[in-house]
Amino acid sequence: MRVDPNISSLLNIGIQGTEQALNTAVQQVASGERVNVPSDDPAAAAANLQSLAGSANVDRYTQNGDAVLSQAQMADSALSNVVSELNQAITLGTQGADGSMTNENRAAIATQVQSVLSEVISQANTTFNGASLFAGTAGTVPAFATDSTSPTGYSYQGNSGVNSAAIGDNLQVNVNVPGDQIFSNPNGDVLGSLSQLISALGSGTTTDIGDAVNAVRSALTNVSQQRVVYAGVVNQVNAQESYLSQETISLSGQQQSLTGVDMSVAVSNLTQAQIAHSTILAAAAKVLPTSLLDYLN
Amino acid sequence: MVGLNGSLSIATEALGAQTAALEVANNNIANANTPGYSRQVVSLSSAALVQQGMTVDEGVSYQGFTSVRDSVLDMAINAATSDQGSLTAQSTLLTQINSAFSGTATGIGASLSTLFSDISALSTTPTDPSARQTVLSDANALADAFHQGAAALSNASSAANQQVSAAVAQVNQLSQQIAALNGQIAETNGGDAGALTDQRDELTTQLAQLIGVSTTQTGGTPTLTTTNGSPLVIGDTSYALQVTTAPDGAAHVLDAQGNDITDALSGGTIGGAITARDNAIPALSQQLDALASQFGSAMNSAQAEGYDLNGNPGTAMFAVPTTGSAAAGISVALTSGSQIAASSDGSSGSSGNVNALLAVQSSDLPSGASPTDTYANLVGNIGFAGSQVNSNLTATTSSLQQLTSQQDSESGVSIDEETANLIRYQQAYSAAARVISTINDMYGMLMNMSLGES
Repeated sequence: MRVDPNISSLLNIGIQGTEQALNTAVQQVASGERVNVPSDDPAAAAANLQSLAGSANVDRYTQNGDAVLSQAQMADSALSNVVSELNQAITLGTQGADGSMTNENRAAIATQVQSVLSEVISQANTTFNGASLFAGTAGTVPAFATDSTSPTGYSYQGNSGVNSAAIGDNLQVNVNVPGDQIFSNPNGDVLGSLSQLISALGSGTTTDIGDAVNAVRSALTNVSQQRVVYAGVVNQVNAQESYLSQETISLSGQQQSLTGVDMSVAVSNLTQAQIAHSTILAAAAKVLPTSLLDYLN
Repeated sequence: MVGLNGSLSIATEALGAQTAALEVANNNIANANTPGYSRQVVSLSSAALVQQGMTVDEGVSYQGFTSVRDSVLDMAINAATSDQGSLTAQSTLLTQINSAFSGTATGIGASLSTLFSDISALSTTPTDPSARQTVLSDANALADAFHQGAAALSNASSAANQQVSAAVAQVNQLSQQIAALNGQIAETNGGDAGALTDQRDELTTQLAQLIGVSTTQTGGTPTLTTTNGSPLVIGDTSYALQVTTAPDGAAHVLDAQGNDITDALSGGTIGGAITARDNAIPALSQQLDALASQFGSAMNSAQAEGYDLNGNPGTAMFAVPTTGSAAAGISVALTSGSQIAASSDGSSGSSGNVNALLAVQSSDLPSGASPTDTYANLVGNIGFAGSQVNSNLTATTSSLQQLTSQQDSESGVSIDEETANLIRYQQAYSAAARVISTINDMYGMLMNMSLGES
C-alpha cells in the first residue's frame, strides 16, 4: 500500500495539536482557572453561578447581621441610660417619701424627677439612620411627643410594628421593640410612673410617693426585661455571623474546586504538553529535510 | 519485419515514450504542492502486431496518462468537509455567545445577587433614601444585563444571517466556475481531463465547505445538487441560489425556481449558520425571555403585596413587554426609590414586605426553578451547546484529516517516487539512445563493407 507522501501536512496537524495542548496548559497555569467560558465545563459553570449566588446571600446575611447589631447596640445603650435614670428617680422618690422632708424640698425633688422624665423621653426618641428606634415601624416620626391631653404630658406617636431582618436562609431576627412596650407598658409604665411620682411629690403624701416609687421600680423591671430582647438579638447575630464566616470559606472553596485548576495537575499537564511539543518538533526537524535527492549526488 | 530499420523504429518509439514518461514525472513534480492535484501515471504498453501467423514485437506504445483518484474517497471528503463547515459556523456563533455569558462578576447572575442584597439592606434601614436609590439603580443594572444577554443572542443571529448571505454568493460563484469546467471537460470526449477534473474536484470540495452537496453522474452529465436535491450545476449550466430577508430579519435561501429551501439545507457554513440561528439560538433566547418575564412579574406581585415609603400600595417594579423579546424589552417601571414597597402595613418605617421581595429569589418561578437556578441552567445550556459543537468539530476535523491523508496516499505526489522514476526514464532513454548508436554503427559497418568490396 502506498503511504501518504505529504509528511509535512501530517507534521503540521501534529504540531497544531501539541501547540493547542501547550496553550491550554499555559493558560490554566497562568490564570489558575479551568473554566473561562461556560463551554469549557458547562455543569461546573452552572454550579459555580449557583455557588456564587450562595456566597452573595451569605454576604447579605452578614451585612444584615452587622446592621442589626449596630441598631441593637444603640438601642441597648439608650435603654441602659434609661435604667440609670430610673434608678436615680427611685433614689429621689425614696428621699421624697421621707417624712422629715419639707414641701419645698419635695418640690425641688419633683423638678429633678421632671428632668429625669425629659431625659427618658430624649432616650426614647433616639434615632438610627434618621428613623426612630422606638417608634415601631412609624419611621422618622419621634416615638413620643408632648401631648397636653395625656396624663403623662406625652403620647406615643409610633405603632406596634416590628421589623425583622434575614440573617440566614430561614433565620429572621426582630430588629426593634415598639416604644409603647418599653415606655408605656401597663406592666411597668415608665412615663406613667414618673409622672405619678412627680404629682405624688407635689401632693406631699408619703404613701402616694411610696406607691409611685414602687411603680417606678416595676417600670425599671420592665425596661430591663425589654433590654434582654436586644441582648438576645446581639447573641443570635454574633453566633450566626461566626457560622456565616465559615460558610463563606466553604463556598469559596467550592467555587475554587468547580472552576479553578489544581495547580499540581496543571503544572504536570504543562510539562507533559511541553514534552509532547518538543518531541514532535524534533521529529519534524529530523524527517522534513530528508529526500532521495540528498543521496543521489 | 525484423531488421535494422525495424530495430531503429522500436528504439525511436522508446525514446519518445521515455520522453513522454519524463514529461509526466516532470508535471507531477511541478504540481507537488498544488492543492487538489492528483498525481498522474504514464501508461505505456508493449506494441505488437501479428504478421503471417507470427507475433512481431513492435516496441513500446505511449497510451497517455491517467490521474490517480478515488471517487468514493472524494465523496467521503466532501461529506466530512460539509460537516466541518457546518460545525465551524456553529462553533463560531456559540463561542461568541459563550463569551458573552462567561462573566461571573458581571451579568444577569451577579446583578440578581446585587439587587437582592441591596433589597435585603432595606430590612434594617427602610427609610434610608440612599438605600432605596441603590435598589432602584440595581434594578436598572439588572434590566441592562438582560438587554445585554438578549443582544448577545440576537447579534449571533444577525451574524448567522450575514454568514448565509455571504456564503450563498460564494456558492453561486463556485457553481459558475464548476459549470464552466464541466463544459471544458465535456470537450475532451471522455478522455482523462487531468488538471481540469482536479480543478473541478477542488472547487466541489470548496463548495462542500459552504453547503452540503451531492454529486451524481446522470447519463454522462455530471450533476451537482444540494443535499435536498436542489440543482446547483447540471452539466455546463449553473443554477444560482438566492437570498431573501424574511420580515423577522432572517435570511432565507431560495433555489433557482424560487422555492424556499432554507429548512431543507444541511451541512456547510450555510447549513451550520441556519441550524444555529433556527434551533440553538431560539431555544436559548426563549429561556432568557421566560426568565426576564417571569422574574419581572414575580417582583411586581411582591411589590403589590406591600406599600411604598409614602404609604401608597406598591406598583410594578418592572415593565415587561408582552410582545417580542421580554429580555430585550424589560425596563424598570419605578421612577423613585421611595416607590419600593418595603412596608407591609403602610407605615414608612416598616420593612415587613422586604421578605416578600426577597422571597422571589428563593421561590420557584413558573418555569420550575428559582431565578438564580434558572439563570444557571441557561448558562449551563449555553455551555453544553458550545461544548457539544466543539467536540463534534474536533472529531470531524480529525476524521477529515484522516480522509485527506488517505487521499494523499492515493493521489499525492511523492517527490522521492518521481525522482526515482526520473532516473528510471533517464536510464531507459540512454539505453534506447545506445540502441540507436549501435544500429548506426551497424549501418556504418554495412556501408564500409560495401565500399571495401567495390
